[in-house]
Amino acid sequence: MSAAATSLPSRSRPPWLDAFVGQGLALLFAFAIAVAVGSLIIILYGENPLTVYGAMLSFGFRDATSLGNILSIATPLIFAALAVSVCFKGGLFNIGVEGQFLVGMVTASWAALAFDFLPGLTHMIVVLVFACIGGMVYAAVPGILKVTTGAHEVVTTIMMNQIAISIVKFALDGPLRFTKAPPGQNVDLRTDIFESSALVPDLGHLFGVESSAHLSWLFPIAIVASVFVWFLIKRMRLGYEARAVGSSAGSARAGGISIGSVQIKLFLISGALAGLVGMQQVLAERGALVQNYEAQLGFTGIAVAFLGQNNPIGIVFAAILWAFLSRGETALQIETDVPREFVIILQGILIFCVVVVYQIAKRRLARRELQRAGAEVGLRDTAAPSDLALEEG
Amino acid sequence: MDLQDIGAAIRIAFIYFTIVYLTGLGGLFSERSGIVNIGLEGLMVVGTVSGAAGVALFAGPASDGLELGPGGVVLGLLIGALCGALFASVHAVATINFRVDHIVSGVVINLVAVGLARFLSYVFFEQATQSDPGGPHLSRFDIPLLSDIPGGLGVAFQNLSPVVIFAALLVFPVTYVLYRTRWGLRLRSAGENPEATRSLGVAVAPLRWQGVLLSGALAGLAGGFLSVEVVGNWREGQTLGLGFISLAALILSNWDPRRLMVVAFLFGFALAIPLRLDDAPVISALPDQFINMIPYVVTIVAIAGFVGRVRPPAAAGRAYEGAGGG
Repeated sequence: MSAAATSLPSRSRPPWLDAFVGQGLALLFAFAIAVAVGSLIIILYGENPLTVYGAMLSFGFRDATSLGNILSIATPLIFAALAVSVCFKGGLFNIGVEGQFLVGMVTASWAALAFDFLPGLTHMIVVLVFACIGGMVYAAVPGILKVTTGAHEVVTTIMMNQIAISIVKFALDGPLRFTKAPPGQNVDLRTDIFESSALVPDLGHLFGVESSAHLSWLFPIAIVASVFVWFLIKRMRLGYEARAVGSSAGSARAGGISIGSVQIKLFLISGALAGLVGMQQVLAERGALVQNYEAQLGFTGIAVAFLGQNNPIGIVFAAILWAFLSRGETALQIETDVPREFVIILQGILIFCVVVVYQIAKRRLARRELQRAGAEVGLRDTAAPSDLALEEG
Repeated sequence: MDLQDIGAAIRIAFIYFTIVYLTGLGGLFSERSGIVNIGLEGLMVVGTVSGAAGVALFAGPASDGLELGPGGVVLGLLIGALCGALFASVHAVATINFRVDHIVSGVVINLVAVGLARFLSYVFFEQATQSDPGGPHLSRFDIPLLSDIPGGLGVAFQNLSPVVIFAALLVFPVTYVLYRTRWGLRLRSAGENPEATRSLGVAVAPLRWQGVLLSGALAGLAGGFLSVEVVGNWREGQTLGLGFISLAALILSNWDPRRLMVVAFLFGFALAIPLRLDDAPVISALPDQFINMIPYVVTIVAIAGFVGRVRPPAAAGRAYEGAGGG
């Protein structure tokens, strides 16, 4: 080990490349394990893994509409994962994206109904802004509680997620309940159908994607959002401060950074992004807020954020990969005997492998950094006590 | 509103209490050993489906499965606990052996549980989101004396599942084990100061494993109780966030099994209000959804330190670097 440490400085890669290659390999490794374990399950189920994976691939990339479907499934996941990653950069764990997106759906639906006199695009923009505001306000609560009282954001956001479920129920049962009774007898609770000016226009038809895929302008908005987050983290002062707070609150404070103000700002940005999570289903698919809305998007966003290694660009690809797998559910149902729920298991194994492999890779990187630093200051043997601990297990 | 309604509400509170207390105790064992477990909801979900499957396997419906009667139902509930523990071992491997962040692993547990439950349901019941209703359950009984209270309050103590009594009596052995035995002391020390535990020659990792497995078993049992004893079949989404309520109760109880009992019952009563006391004064003016928020709001207030302050085990959530070496 000491020999390796001394030879490192002369022919080592730059640290960023080291990190990049390390993370990439870790992801590939995790993916390979997940596919292998998935194959095992498929074999136990009496099917051929090649057929099953093949069916998912050929179905997913069958035509433009299928690709459009994948992108529209990915859209809310990109927003959710970005929301998670923004907080994560500052060392904050926003599990509350779930609740923030639910509240964003409520405020957006209210705005869609209340401002129905607004013309054309302004109506839609106002609705989107209200979605962001709803998410922001709801995210501000754990942020402020964290900064002022030290209440751990994980606990407060878990509680607020549950409260948000009640808020949606209350809104649908009371203030936002439909006034024009929809046709049919036992209809689910929902809001009135929004004016079409509130809806996000379809994008897919420009590329030959059928409207059933619901590929809307929200997808490019999500891409813009990820570029914005990248810019924020890498190029703006807040991003720098966030990274400083995230890596070491102590040194950040010593460096004159107001930790509380950074944390609240991160929560607000995260909440605004979270507010947009529900817009795909409300403004692009249903045109109303319905009782049986698609939940869990906030939690899935956490998984996607980890899959994308909390990198805004990586998140876009991770969301598309996740959406491709989800799309595979339909393929399984149509073309194989494996139940569609297999995909959720596969996604679960994948994300589990990713967090474990990523954790191991991070420790290896940390150890290598330590060695490098040791070699630079001329130490022959860098086996510090903490390093020894890392060797175990 | 009359006493009859209050009695009925208390009876429902007992049922919620059972779920919240069992699951909360599970979380308590895990967190006291130093492993934060926000995956309780997911563990409970797996318990609901596997408990129902176990009962179908051992206690029939008449067409298929063995018919072992009450013993079969107990076996089925134990299957639920076993599957909960098995699923919790994923959390244990991730957090103890691979030192993954406890919150991350817990989120993954909750996320995967939904799909796993559907998958298991598909395998057992050949349908993804529910099992056939009206499965067998343990025979109900009335608590002597208490069930004879006149004026309607006696209703609260009638027609209860034996599991309710089991959960309530659990406070005694749990308190004894946790505070009066060597194992309990070691478990708590692993959660407070693992380095000191190790320095005394006690391995931390096995203790934490035991804590996490217990959390899975208890949450799984609670899930099985819900699907088998309360509802009569498995349905997707039937846990309704009770795992998170349990987590809230655990925090509010300050990780103490005796206080947890009180909090679990109060939360249970709060949940029962919209169901049975809807026309009481004040309450009738409040939307049900606001009452359902109470447990969570109270917990936020407590964690923010506005009223008293709760303190989690000192090392909970922190990886113990020596864990692999035991």
